[in-house]
Amino acid sequence: MSTDTNQISVNAAGVEITGLRKSYGSNEVLKGIDLKVKPGEVVCLIGPSGSGKSTLLRCVNLLEQPNGGTIMVGGFDATNVDVNLDQMRQKVGMVFQQFNLFPHLTVLENCTVAPIKVLKRKKLDAQKVAHSHLERVGLGDFGGRYPDQLSGGQQQRVAIARALSMEPTLMLFDEPTSALDPETVGEVLSIMKNLAQAGMTMLVVTHEMAFAKEVADRVVFMDGGVVVEEGIASEVIGNPQQPRTQDFLRRVLDPTHVDI
Amino acid sequence: MAMTTSQRARTSKTIQIVVFVGIIIALIAIIDWDKAAYAFFSFDKLGPMFPDMILVGLKNTIFYTIIAFAFGLALGLILALLKTASFAPYRWFATAFIEFFRGIPAILVLLAFGFGLPQAFGTTWPQPVNVMFALGLVSSAYIAETLRAGLQAVPKGQTEAARSLGMPAWRAMVTIVIPQAFKIVLPPMTNEIILLTKDTSLAFILGAAMAQYEMTKFGRDGISQLDAGLTPLVVAGLFYLVITIPLSLVARKFESRAAKTKR
Repeated sequence: MSTDTNQISVNAAGVEITGLRKSYGSNEVLKGIDLKVKPGEVVCLIGPSGSGKSTLLRCVNLLEQPNGGTIMVGGFDATNVDVNLDQMRQKVGMVFQQFNLFPHLTVLENCTVAPIKVLKRKKLDAQKVAHSHLERVGLGDFGGRYPDQLSGGQQQRVAIARALSMEPTLMLFDEPTSALDPETVGEVLSIMKNLAQAGMTMLVVTHEMAFAKEVADRVVFMDGGVVVEEGIASEVIGNPQQPRTQDFLRRVLDPTHVDI
Repeated sequence: MAMTTSQRARTSKTIQIVVFVGIIIALIAIIDWDKAAYAFFSFDKLGPMFPDMILVGLKNTIFYTIIAFAFGLALGLILALLKTASFAPYRWFATAFIEFFRGIPAILVLLAFGFGLPQAFGTTWPQPVNVMFALGLVSSAYIAETLRAGLQAVPKGQTEAARSLGMPAWRAMVTIVIPQAFKIVLPPMTNEIILLTKDTSLAFILGAAMAQYEMTKFGRDGISQLDAGLTPLVVAGLFYLVITIPLSLVARKFESRAAKTKR
């Protein structure tokens, strides 16, 4: 699969999260998170399951309603009750763990339905844009297929193309490779890497430490609803300072080594 | 003497055959076949029923079914959406409506529309209109429940993906969720049409002009006007099967296709 890195120019936006809180009933899963992502920056969120990293990501485009704090996305105050959420979400692409492609639509329709219905693009224009993004993810010939005719890796690549077809300024990835067969993980990661190199602002929840180390500008380690440690990717992963980070990375990087 | 399993199975089969043949023989002996044949199979005397039975009766039965179903589907979709709404009073209203019209006999609704509406509101439209309204209303309650199940069977991730692309809630519903829900409910929905087809037979109790007769009315008139016993009803029944059996086959085809692919 050959992908031209700078095939599509990206108009990147930043994110600024301050004092973000989120509870489910009495269970507080985010306990005041501060996080700043600069335009064009790639930040990976890592941490054990239940640490709140997916919830944090889902708060950024308000799929989860925060209980406190503010989220600024590219100048939008997402937590302001008066803000037009649909307008903000047009600029924030999201890729889900379970792909969530629309099974009743073809691959091309998956990528054009929102541009046509939401951005009111002309069908032919939307198809042209969608096709260029499908080519970018190496699936230019797959426009007429249905999602259930594709492998998991191909489906996730379509999901990325679908999000890109809205021409977002920020991309959120919620464990994009966790539901994939091991041999298809690479094709998705390499597309994400290309996207990062093209200058897209990316916030990525992932367990792929090699990817985080290589692609991310910064890594944020979360545990128990707080940011425990953050910094330059190679330093957080290569030389963690906090005991909880050290413990987590030891388990992830060397699964056979367990202190019992 | 102990029997092996296969011996026992053979014995039980023999007994079943003996009982079956015995019942047939008893029926043949008891029943007066000339009378029975007159009552059920006097097809030769049905000449006057045709071609109106088909040109008027079959046509009207199908027409009433289609209009009532279209009305029931539209109302049922609204009720299903109300029932899944986040605003509680909407849900209460939908639940009350559905429980009411599912819980009372269709014939009561039909009578209320046929005789009650003209009395209460002075409506003067023809009775078949009342029939289609009443049956549509009743079927909307069943359709609503079927659709609600279908809407809820569409994974939540579908709505999330649609919303994350900037679609407003109604757009996500119309473009993403409802089309998938309809595919899920196609087989049970075909069932609803079959039930509705049969329920149009209740129309005769409201009375109507000749051009508005459906098949059961023709069958009933046939009993009193023709010297053919119950045969006109047998014929009406056969014509219902002409409509419902193909529908069943279609439903089964949908089901097997749905089993093969998730699409």
